[in-house]
Amino acid sequence: MRELFPANQVIGFVASLALTVIALLVYFLDMSFTVGMVVLLLTAFTQAGLQLVVFMHAGESPDSDSIYLNTYYGIFIALAIVFGSLLAMVWGY
Amino acid sequence: MTTEHSTPMEYSTETNALNIIGFWVFIGAEIALFATLFAAYFIMEGRIADGPSGGHLFVISTLMIQTFVLLTSSFTIGLGVNAMRLGRKGAALTFFIITLVLGAGFVGVEIYEFYEYVHEGLNLQTSAFSAALFTLLGTHGAHVSFGLFWGIGIIIQIVKYGFTPRTANKTFIFSLYWHFLDVVWIFIFSFVYLKGMM
Repeated sequence: MRELFPANQVIGFVASLALTVIALLVYFLDMSFTVGMVVLLLTAFTQAGLQLVVFMHAGESPDSDSIYLNTYYGIFIALAIVFGSLLAMVWGY
Repeated sequence: MTTEHSTPMEYSTETNALNIIGFWVFIGAEIALFATLFAAYFIMEGRIADGPSGGHLFVISTLMIQTFVLLTSSFTIGLGVNAMRLGRKGAALTFFIITLVLGAGFVGVEIYEFYEYVHEGLNLQTSAFSAALFTLLGTHGAHVSFGLFWGIGIIIQIVKYGFTPRTANKTFIFSLYWHFLDVVWIFIFSFVYLKGMM
């Protein structure tokens, strides 16, 4: 039975729940928009990294360099699209 | 491989290894797809016309249920892949079925939520905000719904053929897809819902 619940995955799950609770504090506690966004950015990206490494086994296979490179490229494109759009359309530069 | 035993079955042939890296490339493209939808949402967020705003619509209880259900399903499918690597077919199938039941629960809550939004006077044509919101949430929900059918197909194949290099590979790739949807949800949870309710 024990082997069906490997420690790293159980810890990963508990950590993901903890990060969710921390993110929810943004709603339940009274904090400024800036502080709230910093908390959310930290919890969301940590959570994403956790899923990638613990649950998607990104670092385990011989081709893990390619997997990471592909993922970093995807993240770069995502950030460029989101912040580029915000820069041009919302922040007014 | 750095797993304790030997090379897991899902990596056991060259085709299998290529299938997995190929799926990662697909996930890269999906990241870009969702990035465009997030960008559109962030631009349109404040343009609510005569309709309700996000802060007015979003409900913390359904959000917490959806998040907990999807996080748990991501955990159970991870356990399913672990059981598969141990060669425990029954346990793996149990975990996969739990995963799909949780996934169906998530989609159910999302449908209920959309129903509530429409009752509050928010539909696809209400405002720029509503169009961007429904497109982003709907694309994610459609992915999860598609995943339910894919998962059922995977379960049928495991029941029929057991774990072979081929079915193990398909199962592992499906688990990547499912975890990825959980990652997307984390960003929706944080930057659509919680940001909107702050």
